[in-house]
Amino acid sequence: MRFSEAMGRKVVSTSTADSVGKIDDFVVDPRIPTVVALALKKTDSGDTLRWADITAFGADAVTVTGVERLTEADADVTDLLGKDHRLIGKRALATTGDEIGTVTDVEFDPSSGTVTAIVLDHDQIAGNRLVGVGSYAVVIRAEPSR
Amino acid sequence: MSRLMRTSEVAKRPVVTYAGEDVAQIKDVVYSAGGGAVGGFTLAGRGLFAGPLKQGLVWTSVAALGADAVMIEAESALQPTEAVLDASASSGGSGGNILGSQVLTDTGMDLGTVVDVVIEVSGENGGQCDVVGYEIEASEALGTKGTRLLIPLPDTIAASGEHLIVPASAKDFVGQDLAGFGAAVKDFRAQLEGGMR
Repeated sequence: MRFSEAMGRKVVSTSTADSVGKIDDFVVDPRIPTVVALALKKTDSGDTLRWADITAFGADAVTVTGVERLTEADADVTDLLGKDHRLIGKRALATTGDEIGTVTDVEFDPSSGTVTAIVLDHDQIAGNRLVGVGSYAVVIRAEPSR
Repeated sequence: MSRLMRTSEVAKRPVVTYAGEDVAQIKDVVYSAGGGAVGGFTLAGRGLFAGPLKQGLVWTSVAALGADAVMIEAESALQPTEAVLDASASSGGSGGNILGSQVLTDTGMDLGTVVDVVIEVSGENGGQCDVVGYEIEASEALGTKGTRLLIPLPDTIAASGEHLIVPASAKDFVGQDLAGFGAAVKDFRAQLEGGMR
């Protein structure tokens, strides 16, 4: 599944069948590289949903057991949140110091949250070649990792 | 894999960590080994109004020098500028400015003045960054006064900040552009080694 498809998808509580929020952003830890949490909008309580608290990431909705699963962002999530840590729209720089394109989308596995691919304007890179995401660039390992 | 670039292109290139942050940009190139290799870089802050930084970058800390950025593993790779300059001086760096120097052949012919330095980056992490040639504004001796030419350099050269001495045969290996210049450098150095035997 791609970030662009999942953006804005609603989050539904399975206990009350209420819609509790919508996906506003993905929090990616580039070291693993995995989606560790979702940043939500249109929520009544907290605006962060940790990946571990998701019941299912479905094609039409993300389900959680209850609204209490939504929390405020804690330190390790806020460190990865915000424009500096967003991948999409950023220049992709290989570890050789060469620009290889612009990140247009990210593919992830909806069951585990693992980033499977980074989609560039003219290329697609395996997710495990992601090295870092910063304010200047998304850094991609130059050689496919063994 | 190796590639050639002009040092004027390297200046202003961002220094980017593996975490994707641009921590500095290249201000100037520091040469070591008597001007025969790149020893490191002095740095400036990013942005229009940022001044020079007190930190520099030694070549051994550079993960890669690419077409668009200088990569380092983390911001901790930066060192105080003095350390970079000292490391260069202790390995025999002339410390003087090479740009503007007059290039003389060992037979006493003036070839022109240096306007740019051509470096060759080979290998990754800990690889070499050699000075392989100069871009000069040619004098009459080369028959094309005023044009810019690339002259290959031997492994080691004598430089005083005023003059640079190159073997007379260097003028037979001048190039017009970077494409093909690598081969000219190789031929030139091979010819010099052949002459020594």
